[in-house]
Amino acid sequence: MNPIEQLSRRQLVVVTGKGGVGKTAIAATLGRSLAAAGRRTLVVEVDPRENVHQMLGVPPSGGAIVQAESRLWVQNLKPRQVLDEVVRERLKLELLARRVLDSPVYHHFAAGAPGLKELATLGHALRLLRGLGAPGTPDLDTIVLDAPATGHGVSLLAAPRLVSEVITSGPFSVMSSELAALVGDAEKCGIVVVTQAEEMPVEEALELRQALRDRVQRDPELLVVNGLYPPAPHQVPGERENELVALWRRRRALNERELARLKTGWQGPRIELPQLPLDRGPALLAALSRCFGESARRHLGVGEGEGAWS
Amino acid sequence: MELISDRYPLIIVVGSGGVGKTTLAAAMAVLSAREGRDTLVMTFDPSLRLKQALGVGEEAKLQEVPVAFDAPGTLHASLLDARQTFDRLIERYAPDEASRRRVLENHFYQHMSGTLGGVLEYMAVERLFEVAGSGRYKQVILDTPPTRQALDFLEAPSRILGFLDSGALRVALRDWFDEEGRLKSTSRWGALGRRAERFLDDVVGMDLLRDMAEFFQAFAPLFEGFRERARQVEALLRSPQTLFVLVSGAGEERIPDTLFFARRLEEAGYHLGPVVVNRVHPRFVIEGAPPPSADLCRPTGWELLSWAGERDRKGLIELAKLFSREQPLVDVPLLADEPIDLPSLEALGRTLEERLAAWQRYVSRSS
Repeated sequence: MNPIEQLSRRQLVVVTGKGGVGKTAIAATLGRSLAAAGRRTLVVEVDPRENVHQMLGVPPSGGAIVQAESRLWVQNLKPRQVLDEVVRERLKLELLARRVLDSPVYHHFAAGAPGLKELATLGHALRLLRGLGAPGTPDLDTIVLDAPATGHGVSLLAAPRLVSEVITSGPFSVMSSELAALVGDAEKCGIVVVTQAEEMPVEEALELRQALRDRVQRDPELLVVNGLYPPAPHQVPGERENELVALWRRRRALNERELARLKTGWQGPRIELPQLPLDRGPALLAALSRCFGESARRHLGVGEGEGAWS
Repeated sequence: MELISDRYPLIIVVGSGGVGKTTLAAAMAVLSAREGRDTLVMTFDPSLRLKQALGVGEEAKLQEVPVAFDAPGTLHASLLDARQTFDRLIERYAPDEASRRRVLENHFYQHMSGTLGGVLEYMAVERLFEVAGSGRYKQVILDTPPTRQALDFLEAPSRILGFLDSGALRVALRDWFDEEGRLKSTSRWGALGRRAERFLDDVVGMDLLRDMAEFFQAFAPLFEGFRERARQVEALLRSPQTLFVLVSGAGEERIPDTLFFARRLEEAGYHLGPVVVNRVHPRFVIEGAPPPSADLCRPTGWELLSWAGERDRKGLIELAKLFSREQPLVDVPLLADEPIDLPSLEALGRTLEERLAAWQRYVSRSS
């Protein structure tokens, strides 16, 4: 089974990478492709400012689950909101819940307790997958989680284990152990790392993989190298070069250098995507989906006409 | 306006991740030393290349390291590391060896000091305060954490103050446990108390509560020094001599981020200096460009770069419309190669100054 097919069987796909590399666009691309392959898919974005809706051409979610296509939904998640809901649910009495939610103790706890927001985010995904979401939540096969940027992405994946080591009894402990098992189970949870062929993103991608090995004891399923410049024309010796072509050549050379470094440090399935002259929106998403499928065929040997990936 | 000058001994560089903050901070520092000021640049996560350009390594986490730069002013660099700074802070404020050890060896502290929200951010300003007060530098340039909500670090002192002043601490500091590690009040309450204890154990876990209580007890003697320090740090950030430089990515997509930062800085009463739109694609006069590619996934460099130049120009125009005329707004062009050594960093610093001067000329001409 190729890595793309593997990913399409996961319940949870976590997409992570350095800020600014196009993580959200890739999360949307994966979500769309999974949906096209028949999986009922929700793309969850954890960012105070919403972006994913733009890619899919739907209104901002504002925290709600919004349908984008026949089997595709999006949601912008605020971890704090999820926590507040958990408190409401546990305390049942509105008056008591209000007192807790308004208290400075809770406020500081929610803002500062290590791992809490991460647990809330993953816990939310798990509940939806088990069909325990709020009334009106669609039945889902897969959740694609557009995780916060790298450093936080590792924290997200490592939080359940960290918390389960600190808290050894009670419901928090049960929940964190369950989530640690989910994140550690490559059959259920897929990890996709997005990067660009530039120095810092490559550095972070390599560090991220090491951090995942150290803290979650597993490797990502797939590496997506985004935003590559096309090969530049050969330079004619002695001829004064157009400035545009000069810039193109240098950016492409940087891409090639970093791609080579990435290949040495990371021998795993890899997708390569071109930089596209398109603004963020449905047209870009459609193009990315197509180029994704093409790269999957070329680099991963995914055959023609295989489901959504072709 | 002049950016690198004696007017602003402290410059803080903010912006979203991946926009080139760290490189610009280093460029400004190199220029400042060139102009004769003893300068320190403090950064979080420089690229390998930048570390090589400055000639510093891991040792810069422990102390400020001199950069081998032949200039009228000295140049130092320091890397920020939350855990190290936190440990140092505890060493400083602990009244005696025993209380120091109690905190450092506490299970809860060991687990949380690197991960606790805002700690990294707070440690940045804490360390900043340390060097600003030392009088060793005429110019300090601080690069901020690479998070999308990098402004967290600005709020860190007030958050710590808020925490210290809130009831949370009073509750935490109460003498909860008896000698045997059992909850005091609940053992007084008999059967009911035991039920309460079981409930707490179920929800949070008694071991964790004991660790936390112990941590706060151990930490208590340090609080007063901490509180005073957080107040001073806040005053330093709001000083009119502290200037914030907001770095933004190019293109319309980045505008909301930039506006968000600018608004937050102003609301908080910080002094916003220039907004720098970094890595702006140049616009090219295209003659004899080949036709666009027929293959969607293989656009030509011609298509890409002229599209990017146009996109970035639109972004700049939009951004200029959204700011007042008095707001300095400059663009720094995308370089074919990122700076790899001190001369190229200095050149980048000069480009920034020149763009600022050009903005100044433009504003005075059109008014």
